[in-house]
Amino acid sequence: MCSSIVIPGTTLGAIRRIRTTSGAATGQLARQRPPQPVAWTEAEAIRLAQAGNAAAFEFLYRLHGRRVYALCLRMVGNPADAEDLMQEAFLQLYRKIGTFRGESAFSTWLHRMTVNVVLMRLRKKSLPTDSLEETLEPDSENSGPKRDVGAPDLRLSGAVDRVNLERSIEKLPPGYRTVFVLHDVQGYEHNEIADIMRCSVGNSKSQLHKARTRLRELLQEEIRDQAREERKAAKTQSGSLD
Amino acid sequence: MQCKDLEFVLESEGLGPLPVEAREHLAGCSACQGYLADLNSIVLAAKTLPAEVTPPDRIWISLRARLEAEGLIKEPILVPEPSSWWQNFSAWLRPRTLATATAGLALLAITVFVTRTSYQSHPNPGSQQPVTTVSRPAESSLPVPAPTSPVVPVSPKLSADNSVPGPRPSKVKELAPSPSEAASLALNIAERDVPDMELAGNSQVDASLRQNLRTLNEFIAECEQHLKKNPQDQLAREYLYTAYQQKADLLAAMMENGRSEH
Repeated sequence: MCSSIVIPGTTLGAIRRIRTTSGAATGQLARQRPPQPVAWTEAEAIRLAQAGNAAAFEFLYRLHGRRVYALCLRMVGNPADAEDLMQEAFLQLYRKIGTFRGESAFSTWLHRMTVNVVLMRLRKKSLPTDSLEETLEPDSENSGPKRDVGAPDLRLSGAVDRVNLERSIEKLPPGYRTVFVLHDVQGYEHNEIADIMRCSVGNSKSQLHKARTRLRELLQEEIRDQAREERKAAKTQSGSLD
Repeated sequence: MQCKDLEFVLESEGLGPLPVEAREHLAGCSACQGYLADLNSIVLAAKTLPAEVTPPDRIWISLRARLEAEGLIKEPILVPEPSSWWQNFSAWLRPRTLATATAGLALLAITVFVTRTSYQSHPNPGSQQPVTTVSRPAESSLPVPAPTSPVVPVSPKLSADNSVPGPRPSKVKELAPSPSEAASLALNIAERDVPDMELAGNSQVDASLRQNLRTLNEFIAECEQHLKKNPQDQLAREYLYTAYQQKADLLAAMMENGRSEH
């Protein structure tokens, strides 16, 4: 939370520290961080937001914004789209906040809205290679990635890093991606995901397994491609030396 | 158990503790061992990805603008009751009204302060510093003297010097309260009425607003202290200017929302 630049022993250091500390950033105090009541609970903030209180809107935004933004970012893979989607999700949330009765957790409600906004956007983009329906439909015999049972595989252990994992997540079909990000990255339980995605717990489990299996294939492809590139580069280098 | 049966177990049970049959199969099947190890390494790698990412501030600014445009933010609007002319006149004289006006004037003073500061920082080479154009905007803009506000010390020697006709730039400059002091003065006047106000009809919000004001005041005091020691520090001067401006904004917002208890 605190990105302080401190020059010890100087007043100016203290000035800079105040200016760059997010909680009491005077540099942003009046415009970007309007006063927030410290002691609000989420329920109080929701009640006030339902009455149109601007500070309550911001309180809820600050409370959940980082998770929602991470979800959007992971789902679309680029910050500009993620910002747009996050704004859209919160806008929809605030438009409908008057109808929130607390039947499900507020965060679940918000995430459901976010997922819907993201999937709607992805559906509009309609990438020809990824069929959204394929991944959102309940399990069928032919859906999902396949594993050649018993066939020799390229082992991933030790080869999975953040970069190639993120790249592979982006290649997942949207439905798989959503469940994988919610469960394995954001730590939601299957019952919560089922609530967010409006599907059964079994379906959530199945989608997650398929997502992981598909990711494994994608990562194997990544690793093979990398190895191929390295070989090609080595060959070119040895050719130029000859 | 076959490999496809293990896959079914993994699908329905996840990667947690496996049933005995599945473990027995795994013990004798290297392909399934590798498969399970790969899935575990994917899950482990996924846990290293951040679950939260701080969004840029511009999203909230833009979102708030849209909320306001759509009328979703409903700030309480105070409807004034009809009153006679003398009541209107006395209302105008209420400290809150004066304070609001002062906050506006403080903004004006700050603007002049910045203009002058930038002029002093980048003087036009070849031209003499114009003595007679040293303005005293804040002084002239203050409607009422502030008994609690800081007084600019004037030494008798300087007063005597000032009586001598002819241009004496440095002395005149010292005589007049600097624009930053004038801005500070004006803001202090505006601030006098804030403690008596019920600001947002919500004690927590009120407390928070006042806390912000306190933070700003501390910051301003720190900047001023630093500038006394290092008057040439442009960075500190810039911080001070920003803080004044924000304090004026904050006071104006507080007074606009506030209901005076006077």
